[in-house]
Amino acid sequence: MALLETENLVKEFGGLVATDEVNLSVEEGERVSIIGPNGAGKSTLVNLITRRLDPTSGDIRFKGESIVGHDPHEVVQMGVSKSFQTASIFSDLTVRENAEIAALASEHGSFGFKLLEHRDSLTGVHQVARDTLDAVGLLDQADRQASELPYGDKRRLEIGIALAAEPDLLLMDEPTAGMSPEETEATVDLVEEVKRELGLTFVLIEHDMEIVFRISDRIVVLNRGQVIAEGTPDEIKGDAAVQEAYLGGVEL
Amino acid sequence: MSDEPAAAADGETGSSFADTVGIWMPRGDELRVMTATAVVLAVFPFVFSRMPVVSDLLQGYQSLATLILIWGIFALGFDLLLGYTGLLSFGHAAFWGGAAYAAGVFSQHVSGSPILMVLAGTVFAVLLAWFLGFLSLRRGGIYFAILTLAFAQMMFYMSSSPLAFITGGENGFTGVETAELFGLFPLESELPLVLETLLGTWLYAFVAVIALLCVALGYRILHSPYGMVFRAIRENEQRAEFVGLNVWRYRLMSFIISGFFAGVAGSLFVIHGTYVPLSSLYWTTSGEVVIMTVLGGTGSLFGPVVGAGVYLYVENIVSGGHPFEFVAPFWHLILGLVFVVTIWVFPRGIWGFFRDVRDYVTGGED
Repeated sequence: MALLETENLVKEFGGLVATDEVNLSVEEGERVSIIGPNGAGKSTLVNLITRRLDPTSGDIRFKGESIVGHDPHEVVQMGVSKSFQTASIFSDLTVRENAEIAALASEHGSFGFKLLEHRDSLTGVHQVARDTLDAVGLLDQADRQASELPYGDKRRLEIGIALAAEPDLLLMDEPTAGMSPEETEATVDLVEEVKRELGLTFVLIEHDMEIVFRISDRIVVLNRGQVIAEGTPDEIKGDAAVQEAYLGGVEL
Repeated sequence: MSDEPAAAADGETGSSFADTVGIWMPRGDELRVMTATAVVLAVFPFVFSRMPVVSDLLQGYQSLATLILIWGIFALGFDLLLGYTGLLSFGHAAFWGGAAYAAGVFSQHVSGSPILMVLAGTVFAVLLAWFLGFLSLRRGGIYFAILTLAFAQMMFYMSSSPLAFITGGENGFTGVETAELFGLFPLESELPLVLETLLGTWLYAFVAVIALLCVALGYRILHSPYGMVFRAIRENEQRAEFVGLNVWRYRLMSFIISGFFAGVAGSLFVIHGTYVPLSSLYWTTSGEVVIMTVLGGTGSLFGPVVGAGVYLYVENIVSGGHPFEFVAPFWHLILGLVFVVTIWVFPRGIWGFFRDVRDYVTGGED
């Protein structure tokens, strides 16, 4: 059984069909990249899976259960986490608290009545937050205010928040957008390391072809909301339809 | 990295310790904060209204000291909503006034015990906050502010005429019958021995003990997961939802908690004044608590209490004449100027200014 499945998924904005009968299937442990030209519907697809948007028709199943009709926080609680395209962090909180917020949600659920319990007693939360910050290389900056971090570190923290939610499936929306070459390199290493150590299933949305070909098991190519090709990096490189629609015939 | 395992071990012993003695044990610097608060509460009425020279300068009086604490509790709870969760309610008069009426009516028909009156008023305010929060939090930003304002104004209208047979309508509720504290001590009577010099009346002592409990409660909430979640929601609501937190329910809890504090304060207000003015439900009351909170400094526990003190001081002392004869008729203007200048010079309010001074003196960063 696939971890994540979409079935005839359609999203229309007025007359525009942003997602057109998409049937996507992600197996456990797989690294899938979704690529496509601007406006191909990549972000819409992620927003549908994370329940930021309601589909016009079709179904989305996670672990065999339909998630259409669930609130975003419920989907996260089921095990789907997302890292945002921009550094969507809690600027006024410390780096440690940023990770603790996500760890709190994963360890203690979407809501609780622990308003009289001191945070010091939440050892599980502290442990997860510490491990996560260690994994993304921000542990030595744990007590800094998140807003003080350089941009690359903010993006790493963004990924850290997504990881601290302890997901089964991680959706990454252009994790290297706006990063310098060094930061990009470090982030790709991070993604590979996380993949190796946590055995996470990834769905990656990315512009940078080099990264996509390097870290994907499988690539899904979207154009005008439709899946036009699907296969291993080598298959996609040689696919004529992809060359035509997306890469514009450029030799790779 | 080498100190990390030690830190982890510390955390675990702390946890089992807490499990044995329960969550009521002070943790971190709670004991220090409570002690400092208790000392300030103990000397405040003496310094303000009886101490030679200082009190002559300040022109303070006992009853105002009590009133400042009561509004301080109101503003403290309001800031949990405004300063921490980032929600501006413009209808908190509903909880303050609602609790005041509830406690007043309770004293007339059921019991005049001050403790039971506070309980009755607070329970009413909490239930009301639950209901109004449920309806108002459907919308954010300005719509939320307007919805809360509308609900509070509806309550004002209801008590001004349709429910006048209970509330006394335009005249306010005059049937408050407060009994002795513990059935022994009339609240207006003076405390024995040195306590009389320090605290003055039983009423002040009663209010001060509740204020101390409120500070302890507020401080603990801010250091519980809630405090962190509230700030996270204020900072980035969407991200909070996308780490798997039920933002809506946490917001509702924040609203109810601030309603709780408003309820405690509103009940004490009736006990203090033995009367509920209709204006306690009017929108200006909601506005006053916003001004006090912002003046004192949002996002701090004690700032709003200081803000309440400054506001009430200008309203009651500066407006009253000696030694402020020249400006007394213009006290509204003075209040406005104090507010504008404070926010202009210290955007984080009076308490933010204190913090900046402390950081400057101690050489701390930020």
